[in-house]
Amino acid sequence: MDQRTSSFSDPKMKILAASVAAVAAAGLVACAGGPTRGADTTGIDWNKVPANKLVLFYPGKSSYEWLRDPAAHKGAASETARGDSCVSCHDDAKEEQRQGAKILSGKHPLEPIALPGKPGHVDVNIQAAYDDKNVYLRYQWKGSNDIEYPYYRFDGKEWKTYGAPRLDKPVQEGKQPAIYEARMSFMLDDGKVPMFKEQGCWLTCHEGERDLNPATKEDVAANAAMKAYKKSDVRKYLPASRSNPSDWRTGKLPDELAKIKAAGGFVDLVQWRAHRSNPVGGADDGYVLEWRNFDAGKNHFASNMNAATKQPNFMFDAARFGARAVSADQVRTKDNFLIKGANAVPFDPNAGWKAGDMLPRYVLQPADATGSAADNKAYGIWKDGMWTVVLVRPLNLANPDDKALKPGGVYSVGFALHDDNITTRGHYVSYTKTLGIGAKADIVAVKLP
Amino acid sequence: MKRNLRPLVAIAALAGGLSLSVPAFAQQFDADAAENVFKDNDCHKCHHATKAKKGPALKKIAAKYKEKKLDEKEAIKHMTAGQKVKLDDGKEEDHKIIDTKDVKVQTNVARWMLSH
Repeated sequence: MDQRTSSFSDPKMKILAASVAAVAAAGLVACAGGPTRGADTTGIDWNKVPANKLVLFYPGKSSYEWLRDPAAHKGAASETARGDSCVSCHDDAKEEQRQGAKILSGKHPLEPIALPGKPGHVDVNIQAAYDDKNVYLRYQWKGSNDIEYPYYRFDGKEWKTYGAPRLDKPVQEGKQPAIYEARMSFMLDDGKVPMFKEQGCWLTCHEGERDLNPATKEDVAANAAMKAYKKSDVRKYLPASRSNPSDWRTGKLPDELAKIKAAGGFVDLVQWRAHRSNPVGGADDGYVLEWRNFDAGKNHFASNMNAATKQPNFMFDAARFGARAVSADQVRTKDNFLIKGANAVPFDPNAGWKAGDMLPRYVLQPADATGSAADNKAYGIWKDGMWTVVLVRPLNLANPDDKALKPGGVYSVGFALHDDNITTRGHYVSYTKTLGIGAKADIVAVKLP
Repeated sequence: MKRNLRPLVAIAALAGGLSLSVPAFAQQFDADAAENVFKDNDCHKCHHATKAKKGPALKKIAAKYKEKKLDEKEAIKHMTAGQKVKLDDGKEEDHKIIDTKDVKVQTNVARWMLSH
C-alpha cells in the first residue's frame, strides 16, 4: 500500500495535519527543505528501495560492566574487554531471538522484572536511500500505538506526575498506569570511537544509569565531574569520558572532553519519539560522550513545568482543543499533544483548576526548534498494528556535535526500539550494523533517481 | 523432530560385517533438541561446527574423540565437571557447565556433538 495514500486517509493524520496547518497558518513554521509535518513529502517510491530485516532483542541489564565481569559474562569477559565484537561469539542465525527469549524467561539474572508475554525480540524492516541533500531511513515494525507520555496531574494542591514507564516501581506496584512514548533510535559512529564498531550501544550502557543499579542523587550531587557537567543523574556515556570506564564517578573534566569531542570521539544519537517529536515532524538530534546530550540549539520539545512556581508553563487552548486540560479517562482516547502555536496557551493559575485535571509534561515547540538540535525531520504513522517511520537527515552536516553522513561513507550503527510504554533497559537493541551511503554495508542507502 | 539414523545404520552394518564393537557415541540422537540445548547454553559462542572459535570446532572434537577412542561419557564429563581448559593463548579457564542434570539430555547433546 502506498504509505502516503494511507497516511492521509488515517483519522490521526488528519488531526496532525490540522495541527500542522494551524501552526503553519500562524506563520510559525519554517521547514524548508524537509518534509511537511505529519506527512511523508519525500516523494520516495519505497517499493523501489531494497528492504533489510533487522532483529532487535531485549538486552535487560547487559551493561558495559556486566559484559566484562568474568562471573557474569562467563567465558567472554576477557574477549569483550580486549575489544572483540559481540557477533564474534553471538553469531547464530537466530542469535537475537535466542538471547531475547532467554533474558525475558523469568530466570535470567539480566532481567529481574520479566514482563509476562513481552516478546524477546522485534523484527524491524529498514530501507535506506539518499539524494543530493538528505539520507532517508524508513522503519516499519509491529508494535503498540504508544503516543502518550506521562502527565502532570493536579491533586487539588499540587501538580504531580501521572503515569510512568512500565518498569518503574510505581507502575510495578500498581500505583501508577504505564504510560510512555514509542521510540525508534540509532547511535552512529564514523570510525572515531574505539570499539563502537565491535560493541556498539553496549559501550554507552553503564552501571549507575537509570534502571541499571542507579546512582543515588546524593552520590551524583557529591561527584565533582557530574557537578561540572551540571547533571543530576547518570545517563549514557562513552568509555573515553571516564578515567575508569567502568566507574561513572571518574568523569573527565570539560576541557579534556572538549578535546575528545573535537577529535570526533562521540557517537551521534538520533531519536524519533511518538509523543515528543513526531507530532511536529521531527526526530531529536543528540550525541553521547560524557552524558546523553542534545545537540546545540533548541529541541522539538521542552519541559512543561516551571521550576520556580511548580506549576505548568502551558495549558491547552480550550477554543482549539475543546478543554484546557484532560482527565485520566481521556488518556489514549485522543491526541493529547500540547503544541505551541497550535493548541497551547500560557498557563493560567487562576483558571479554576480542579483535582484530576492533567496537562502534558512536555510542550512541543515546532517554531522554536533550531540549530543542530533540529537537523532531523521525521514522520511516523501507526496503522493496523504497525508503525511506519521515515527519518530525514541532511548530508554533510558540519556541526561540531554531528557525525556527517557523506556519499560513499560507511558508518557503524546500533538501533534501538522502545515499545509497550517502556524506556531505559526495557528497549530492544541491535548488534552493530553498518550503514553505507551508496557503499557496501549491511544496510545500503541507495541513490535516488 | 529430526532423528539422525545414519551413524547407527552405518556402524551397525560395519559391526555386523566385521564383528567390531559399536562405539557408544555412534547412537541415535535428536539433532534439533541437541542443538537447542547446545545453543541455549551458549556453547555455540565458543564452539562452531566447523571453524575454530574460542574453543575447538565440533568437527575437530569429534575427530579427536574418534582417534583416542573416547566415548560420549567423556564428552559428558567435559560438559558437566567444569574442568580447566587450555586456550590458544596459553591461559586456562573453567569450562562452562551445562545447565541440565538430565543424563538423557546430556547424552543426546554428546552424541550430536560427536556426530560432526
